[in-house]
Amino acid sequence: MTEPHSSVIMALESNVGALSAHAKRVLLCLFIGALGGALQGIILTRSVAQSILYGVLFGTVFGLVFAKRATSPGAGLIWGLAFAVLLWIVFPAGILALLAVGSHSMLVDARERFPELVALLLCLGMPVGLALGSWGERHSTIPALKFNWRRAIIAGGFAGVLGGLIFGRWVSSGDYFPLLAGYGPFNTSRMNIILLHFGIALLIGVTFGLLFQRDVKGYGSCMGWGLGYTILWWFMGQLTFLPIAAHRQLDWSADQASAVFGSLVGHILYGLILGVAYATFDRVWLRLFIQSDPLNREVGGAGVNVLRSLSWGATAGLFGGIVASPVLLATHALPKIVGLDITLSGFRGLILHLLVSAAVGMTYGLLFRNEASNLGLGIAWGWVFGLIWWFVGPMTLLPLLLTGVCDWSTDAASALLPSLMGHLIYGAATAFAFLLLERRYTKWLLLDPRIAAREATKVRPVGTPAPALWLFALALGVLLPILLG
Amino acid sequence: MNRVLRRVLIGIPAGALAGTALAITLAHPLPILMTAAFVGAAYSASLNPTKGTYVDNLMAGGALGIPLWGLISVVAIPVLSGRQPEWDADQIRGQFSGLVGWVIYGAVLGLLTQALSDFSARVWGPETTPDRRGEREKTRVVILGGGFAGMHTAQCLEQELRTNPGVSLTLISETNALLFTPMLAEVAGSSLEPTHISTPLRSSLHRTEFIRGKVERIDLETRRISLARDVASGETFPQTEVPYDHLVFALGAVSNYLGMANLEKYSFNFKSLLDAIRIRNRVIEMFERSDRENDPAQRRALLTFVIAGGGFAGAELAGALNDYGYGILADYPRLRKEEFSVVLVHPRDRILPELSESLARYAQERMEARGVIFRLNTRLTDAGPGLVTLSDGEIRAQTLVWTAGTAPNPLVQSLPLEKDKRRALVVDRSLALPGKPGLWALGDCAAVVDAKTAKPCPPTAQFALREAQVLARNIRAQIEGRPLRQFHFDSLGALCVVGHQTACAELTIPFARSKSMRFSGLLAWLMWRGIYLSKLPGLERKIRVLTDWAVELFFPRDIVQTIELK
Repeated sequence: MTEPHSSVIMALESNVGALSAHAKRVLLCLFIGALGGALQGIILTRSVAQSILYGVLFGTVFGLVFAKRATSPGAGLIWGLAFAVLLWIVFPAGILALLAVGSHSMLVDARERFPELVALLLCLGMPVGLALGSWGERHSTIPALKFNWRRAIIAGGFAGVLGGLIFGRWVSSGDYFPLLAGYGPFNTSRMNIILLHFGIALLIGVTFGLLFQRDVKGYGSCMGWGLGYTILWWFMGQLTFLPIAAHRQLDWSADQASAVFGSLVGHILYGLILGVAYATFDRVWLRLFIQSDPLNREVGGAGVNVLRSLSWGATAGLFGGIVASPVLLATHALPKIVGLDITLSGFRGLILHLLVSAAVGMTYGLLFRNEASNLGLGIAWGWVFGLIWWFVGPMTLLPLLLTGVCDWSTDAASALLPSLMGHLIYGAATAFAFLLLERRYTKWLLLDPRIAAREATKVRPVGTPAPALWLFALALGVLLPILLG
Repeated sequence: MNRVLRRVLIGIPAGALAGTALAITLAHPLPILMTAAFVGAAYSASLNPTKGTYVDNLMAGGALGIPLWGLISVVAIPVLSGRQPEWDADQIRGQFSGLVGWVIYGAVLGLLTQALSDFSARVWGPETTPDRRGEREKTRVVILGGGFAGMHTAQCLEQELRTNPGVSLTLISETNALLFTPMLAEVAGSSLEPTHISTPLRSSLHRTEFIRGKVERIDLETRRISLARDVASGETFPQTEVPYDHLVFALGAVSNYLGMANLEKYSFNFKSLLDAIRIRNRVIEMFERSDRENDPAQRRALLTFVIAGGGFAGAELAGALNDYGYGILADYPRLRKEEFSVVLVHPRDRILPELSESLARYAQERMEARGVIFRLNTRLTDAGPGLVTLSDGEIRAQTLVWTAGTAPNPLVQSLPLEKDKRRALVVDRSLALPGKPGLWALGDCAAVVDAKTAKPCPPTAQFALREAQVLARNIRAQIEGRPLRQFHFDSLGALCVVGHQTACAELTIPFARSKSMRFSGLLAWLMWRGIYLSKLPGLERKIRVLTDWAVELFFPRDIVQTIELK
């Protein structure tokens, strides 16, 4: 046989191999989707055959479209969840509702279809995403980032427990454990409740490290992933596993979700603490064992970068504060923005607001630098940043400072919805200004191709699950207070 | 096609098409469609297109829909319709259908933008990034010297020309680090680690090409610089010539021994880091040798350190060596305090001519009280092994340090360029060499005259830094064909450490330049440390120096010899 012939045959074999690998992936998703569909049908008491058909469709489309992106279980999970949320918005809450009842009652219809959102997330998005991601990790031909099991478990475990500790001390003074709220009243001793609380915290932390070590980059993305992951845990824990553990009937209705809405805010805050703690442990690990190795040395010291991020963040935050202040003024949120004195208004209030904006902007500089490579992506992270500060600021810190207790009720969330707009605008404007400052600095650095290559390695590349996370976190972060309030 | 225009042209139809989802769910379809097209253009323009990233754009677009809903449906549309924004909780819930519409719009927009982007890449080819580097021949700016003047000129040029890829910057220096000379005496006195006051030029300069080498010859006709062979190995590197369009002389100064060959032969220089290390090791060496010496006269000669010159460098070195010597006596129990002495020889009637008389007297008194011996109105006439000859006698001393005079770099002296009586390059008020286009000079090797006062500027780091700023601006102005700026700077003052926690400071009062404030003692010493620490380049270096100073508070100074002395 001549050489050209053999190369043609090899190419054909490789194509057939690739095709069969792709087919196997789709088949796997189809199978998991079918199982998830069946489970969904049983839980929602719908036609099982129809549900299986939906599951098969979901799995097939997901397997075909997201195969290249689901490169690890964590990435697959986030893509799967985002796909599920998008499908729910487009079909049950969107087109189907529109066709069925008309736009005037879409909200009511969406509330009625809330169980379908939970089912899509837990029965289809999560298992199909995890399955495709696990397959992708095993069979990927693209060299993956190194995964360190010890680092993931130790850093994740520490972060989970530390988050649980801070969170437990903070909110458990009234015997309210947000991570266990879905269980209902406990008949066991306080020690057992605390142990259970830490057990769940440890589980969330370890799985966070195992799933997302490759995807998270810095503090900002850790917080973003923490936010998204704990929203999922709220669906899993509070709405699903804890009621089952309490031998109650599974209830995925919007009314039941409203009843445990407070614990959603708790979960989100726990996710943010978990993200910061994980990023800290992960950074320390990287600094001590990886970056300290001269072979991995980077040009420029960390101290200088931190100072630069802080100064850019302060300037960007000031800009964000100026842009957002008309909205905050109009919604009467400005006098309360710093949580110091509700009588503080007018010029003094504005100045104080701008100072706080600059200080909060510094956290953007510290947390989100190097997460975005262009303005569009930067603004997307800015929305997430604004959403995070809405949960942290007016939902949590403000009532804590003013009254000494957190108010995570749906009424409080409803009352604060107007300021959510201001926070989202603030986040986007801060991110926009920060990106401009960063670009101004790196513009001339990038003239040197060696420096350009070095800088490019720091920035989040295309193909990570960041866009899926934005959709999942932003959609649910905004939708749930609206739907459940 | 301009890439932004191309992206906008892709975004408009994508946005308009995706906007049909909005037109169904919202009122006022036409303005909504126009808004959707505008958002589409902005979305497309803000993203770098990457082939085949459909799912990424699907999700990113969907996520974008949520804040867009808040901004447009909740705020903008009611306001533009003359109503209040609808951001009450109930009003927001009333806008739920819009939220669904905007998310669907965003997701479709993401998909369509990607599809049209891929389509346009197939039809028109990929986006072209203008390679401005190749458009024209680069203007080459070469800086000679890596001292304050040279390095700061390079840094200022990097800032000035940060958006101009048509200029290349090169810095040639014999050493690869900037030496922070105000702290050099502390290295000689073993207070600071030598490398802690040196900042690597390669790390500090980002865009500038750095060449460590010695300039052998400059051909002003062909505009080329010839580099000498490597001093240590004698090796010739491939890059022996560096062409230039603009050449900046920032070569600094060297010691001037006033033609006395023996002084050059038997004295220590005090200009470089190696000089300071040598002096420190010499002190330790003298203490070790005198510890084994039985002859009291010889022991005294070994422990006598003569410093020639009572300017800043000489006074600070005398203070530092005096403290160091007395401090380490505790480690040499056989030696007596009386046997150790630091002698400062100065040709005038008072030291520190840069400071006012009262401060100079204070400095002298404090140093005398701490043990320094002054020989004022005295000149050094000769030196030999173990002997220093003065205009009024002799001193038996094994160590002599020369800080009494400087002259511009010999390379400058060899060039056929106009010089002043100090043999420094004559420059005009914009720091350019008159009648020599593309040649510039600053710092110790230039005779800079203040444009406002018409007085010569002193060869200090303070002035060199300001000259560098003006020079960098002027090079940029000349490249861009704009008028040049003239150099003017009022001195901010001067500071000098004379011993343990004691210093003199004379600071100019802002807006009253002829008047100054004088400080002495601990306050002046704290000012000295604070000001110079802030001026020390690099956060890392600052932390290292701070650590050294903190350690010095609790532990004795080190007496480990680090180099071998003949």
